[in-house]
Amino acid sequence: MMTKGEYIQSLRTYLKRLPPEELEDIIYDYEEHFQIGLSKGKTEEEIARELGDPRNIAKMYNVSSKIDEAEQNPSTKNILKAVFSAMALGIFNFIIVLGPFVAIIGLLIGLYGLSIGFIAGGISAIFGTMFVPFSSYQVTFGVNSITSISFGIGLTALGVLFFIACIYFTKLLYKGTISYLKWNVDIIKK
Amino acid sequence: MNIQFKKGVLELCVLSMLLGRDYYGYELVEYISRYIDISEGTIYPLLRRLKKDGYVTTYLKESQEGPPRKYYEITEEGKKAYEELVAEWNHFVQGVNTIVRGEYDD
Repeated sequence: MMTKGEYIQSLRTYLKRLPPEELEDIIYDYEEHFQIGLSKGKTEEEIARELGDPRNIAKMYNVSSKIDEAEQNPSTKNILKAVFSAMALGIFNFIIVLGPFVAIIGLLIGLYGLSIGFIAGGISAIFGTMFVPFSSYQVTFGVNSITSISFGIGLTALGVLFFIACIYFTKLLYKGTISYLKWNVDIIKK
Repeated sequence: MNIQFKKGVLELCVLSMLLGRDYYGYELVEYISRYIDISEGTIYPLLRRLKKDGYVTTYLKESQEGPPRKYYEITEEGKKAYEELVAEWNHFVQGVNTIVRGEYDD
């Protein structure tokens, strides 16, 4: 059994991470609801009971707000925050989704590594070949310098291409995650 | 009933009511909870989402009893969303009824 004051206070506590302006706007709705309910002869406890557990209501606002934030500013941190708050609401069927999600992230990290390796290898091949004549160590690999430099350029280009593809896939993953979360929240698709 | 499912249906109910006239939050809650068993507090997050999505706008209007009330008004976009939702809903209900009444072809 909660009074109006307790209910509002409880909501405030659960919503404390929202921007203050948004929080006040939300609280206004519930203040109004209590006030109209009271004027219709209901008791504070009755109204609080009909409104339902403030914790669950707060979760709905929190998820919604985090998804908006992740959408406007898709940083890894914001996306993860949205994923975790959705999990708290129990709407993210994460056991099914978490496996592939982690696998995709792992794959992406691997691809980034590969492309950086290619670029580094390619550049080393180019400069290595160019500086061989000036080096005191006369190391040759049994290939002439033109082959070696072309190989270096090719490898670097491949690495850059891979890297661009990685960035593209990262963006796709961000977008996919956000729309998946939104779909979970909205359910009836628009 | 499944909570997700209910939320989609609630959205349809709210938009549908707003097609008729503007309502303030308490009224929407009062009418909807008269017919559908919900935690009344969940309508407000929904209204906020509808506003963010541009389906409704709000304005404050004085009332005789106490402070001004926040009224909700449907937008053109909201009307379009309503049309889509109601079509989906009818399609869904028809499908379920066909099966439940045993009118389907084997």
